[in-house]
Amino acid sequence: MAKKPQLAIDTRPWRDTANNKPFVRIRNVSKKFGDVLAVHDVSLDIYKSELFCLLGGSGSGKSTLLRMLAGFETPTSGTIEIDGQDMTEVPPYARPVNMMFQSYALFPHMSVEQNIAYGLKRDGLPKAEIAARVAELLALVKLQDYGKRKPHQLSGGQRQRVALARALAKRPKLLLLDEPLGALDKKLREETQFELVKIQESLGVTFIVVTHDQEEAMTLATRIGVMNQGEIAMVGEPTDIYEFPNSRFVASFIGSANMVEGIVTEDEPGHVRIRSAELGCDIYVAHGVDCAPDQLLWWAIRPEKMVLSREKPTHPHGANVTSGIVEEIAYLGDISLYQVALDSGKRIRVSQTNSVRGNPDAITWEERVYISWGDSSGSVLTV
Amino acid sequence: MRRGWFLPIAASLGFAFLYAPIVSLVIFSFNESSLVTVWSGFSTKWYGALFSDPQLLGAAWLSLQIAALAASIALVLGTLAAVALVRFRRFRGRTLFSGMVSAPLVMPDVITGLSLLLLFVAMEGLLGWPQGRGMVTIVIAHATFCTAYVCVVVQSRLSDFDRSLEEAAMDLGASPVRTFFDITLPIIAPALVSGWLLGFTLSLDDLVIASFVSGPGSSTLPMVIFSKVRLGVSPDVNALATIIIGIVALGVLGATILQLRSKPKSSGA
Amino acid sequence: MTIARDPTIPPPRRLKPWNAVERGLAKVGITGRMLVLAAPVLWLLVFFLIPLAVVFGISLTTKQFGRPPYSPLLTTEEGTVQLTLQFNNYIRLFTDNLYVAAYLSSIRIAAISTVITLLVGYPMAYAIARAPDRWRNIFLMLVVLPFFTSFLLRVYALTGFMRGNGVINQFLGLFGIPPLVMMQTDFAVYVGIVYTYLPFMILPLYTTLVKLDTSLFEASADLGARPIHTFLFVTLPLSLPGIVAGSMLVFIPAIGEFVIPSLLGGPETLMIGRVLWDEFFAATNWPRAAAVAVAMLVVVVVPIMLLQRAQGAVVEK
Repeated sequence: MAKKPQLAIDTRPWRDTANNKPFVRIRNVSKKFGDVLAVHDVSLDIYKSELFCLLGGSGSGKSTLLRMLAGFETPTSGTIEIDGQDMTEVPPYARPVNMMFQSYALFPHMSVEQNIAYGLKRDGLPKAEIAARVAELLALVKLQDYGKRKPHQLSGGQRQRVALARALAKRPKLLLLDEPLGALDKKLREETQFELVKIQESLGVTFIVVTHDQEEAMTLATRIGVMNQGEIAMVGEPTDIYEFPNSRFVASFIGSANMVEGIVTEDEPGHVRIRSAELGCDIYVAHGVDCAPDQLLWWAIRPEKMVLSREKPTHPHGANVTSGIVEEIAYLGDISLYQVALDSGKRIRVSQTNSVRGNPDAITWEERVYISWGDSSGSVLTV
Repeated sequence: MRRGWFLPIAASLGFAFLYAPIVSLVIFSFNESSLVTVWSGFSTKWYGALFSDPQLLGAAWLSLQIAALAASIALVLGTLAAVALVRFRRFRGRTLFSGMVSAPLVMPDVITGLSLLLLFVAMEGLLGWPQGRGMVTIVIAHATFCTAYVCVVVQSRLSDFDRSLEEAAMDLGASPVRTFFDITLPIIAPALVSGWLLGFTLSLDDLVIASFVSGPGSSTLPMVIFSKVRLGVSPDVNALATIIIGIVALGVLGATILQLRSKPKSSGA
Repeated sequence: MTIARDPTIPPPRRLKPWNAVERGLAKVGITGRMLVLAAPVLWLLVFFLIPLAVVFGISLTTKQFGRPPYSPLLTTEEGTVQLTLQFNNYIRLFTDNLYVAAYLSSIRIAAISTVITLLVGYPMAYAIARAPDRWRNIFLMLVVLPFFTSFLLRVYALTGFMRGNGVINQFLGLFGIPPLVMMQTDFAVYVGIVYTYLPFMILPLYTTLVKLDTSLFEASADLGARPIHTFLFVTLPLSLPGIVAGSMLVFIPAIGEFVIPSLLGGPETLMIGRVLWDEFFAATNWPRAAAVAVAMLVVVVVPIMLLQRAQGAVVEK
């Protein structure tokens, strides 16, 4: 359920870097804590009105990067520019940036209204204006009747909305969200995801969201930056990240993928052929790959991109078909996940849509089956 | 976060304020001259004088005995009180009980001393016990206020206690008393040790209460020191203070190191 | 590994004496709870609560020569028990300027010292709470360490520091500054109270400050508050329970302080603890001393209640 692009394709700024100036520009930023390198030489451009997700596991450096954007940490080297201004040395209270904290960090001794008004008071806005803005924000997050309550009198979802309202109160150019939905339960999270996107679209604020939840990133983001061990592993739109991973890490981190090793036997401009002992067959890829003959590389394919059959399908180039024994079947309702043990011992996972109700003829345990796939269904990975 | 200069400077000055008088006291304990504040050469003669003062040695021995006894009584009473306060959520008179346990913590010493003395006098008149005042009455008085301190220490440890450990023991067939001795006691042992030590030092330190409830011939160490100090400066008090500070510093240091070692590293996230 | 057991030998019978004892007691209606409570309740009743009642009783008698040196509260006259209450001690407390002045001066000295202790202790507690983990325990130990060394000896150490030819004056002398008179003034009493009670202020402050979520400070900065504003609007209000608890822990014992005014204060330093002491030991007027104690208790009751509430808040959160 990738987010529908709101802009015509030719106006997605990141696709036309020559004519569009990035709004946030992170250049060669590194951060060391003692001997630990938390962020390593990250360069990243983020454009106006984007909803950019930094996705990674714990310790990947995504939160540190976010905290450097907010100004809580100073980069060990590199620069951060926001809206054309160098922010590297600007203290947090002087940045046109606000943050929504993972713990929400609502001031426990202040009411909801006072929390939202806090930033406006620090800016010395007139009282009437503050009151109007607070009312407007309470309406935005649908908490009109809760203004006088203290944070501990609210539910988790309500607190999350107060935190969002407080962060938006100063109309920041850039909003940083640290695991904004992390503390909510699954059902509430799904509802809130769409709320968040709606608010972002209606206000046109640039969002940078840190999350470890790939489904959340896929749902929210215009683009995703996958982080691994302090570095950016890949930046791209959700479909790029899922369908065209650039490395073994991204392929296995996002969704699930079958990964095999192989050797290039044919390397033509229009196709390549990879021999994989693990897979027990040749892989025919219908596009050129930047590689050398006899090079060792990896090939990854998603479970839903493969087909199971009892009869051996034919392939014009005598490739892309292998066989094995069904070991495990996980019935998930909409789909079933098959684990097939190939003759080499390698286990491949294939998912099949359960399009027939209670199919008596479904493939079952201990059956020998053939697995086949299209010529461009998999990704060839060299790193 | 950016760090200011104010906090480190203020904290350093604060620590200097706490330690400068103690350090100067230690230095002058090695002073040749009997003038406590004018340096005239290194000497350990005041330490020698200390160990040949029978009054001081006797008082020190009495104080140590009192402190050990009072701390031990307080350990038992304070632990029982803590168990009651943490584990028995509701019982008649709970508020009164918890007030009685914690009030001695803040009760001014002169009141505690006076009230116990008047009690002992009245009891002697009515019951014929305690006969006169001395070590027994001091132990009772000290045990009473030390109970409050032990209770606070044990209480905080007990409330952090994972009850499921006890439930597991009972589930495996241990009776409540058995569970207490097999599971609860070993786990709260560090708190018991620090509670006892706290009681011991507090008893050793008390001047006011002991002055009220002691009798002739039962002068504790603080009482002897106070009478010396009141009469004027005496360098042997400096020597005595240095010894006490040395022992306490070693004890606290040792306890801290033990505590740091036994504590599992908390994982920062 | 399995342990083989001879099936012909019956398993050893477990002796559970405690279970039997418990069952026996339960039959008589004595529960475990009662046993746990009995000792501390009895002890505190006899040695804490009753003594306070005795003090109150004796405060209603008058001094007389003999043993005990006060008039009996209950007398038997021709078979009837007679209760004699005399309020002259209390009347004296309110009419004799010495007592009124001593109470007021105790409150003033305790209050001023408490404020100074707070001003000295707060930055220290804050610095410790914000120190890196491995330093924190060392700093805390440094705060607690003097508390464990003798109170009396620390006061004594101060006399060596502040006397006419003491360390401070010798230091000032190096710069040609004439010696200051510090000993036997109210100033010395303030210094003494701050010095000896500082740990009591720092510890509860530290406990509240260290529990504050650092993301609250970050959120405040993020919303545009300069550090001083973050301190005033976030840190200070959230550490209020610690401020109250620490202040009361200094104020209450300072009110009844005896050692500090008698070693550091001058003859004109009036404090109620000292008055009580003199009344008892010098004048041997036990009933008067008891009345002074009761009045002191009244003075500290409100602070004690404040302390109880604040301590609940410090511990909870």
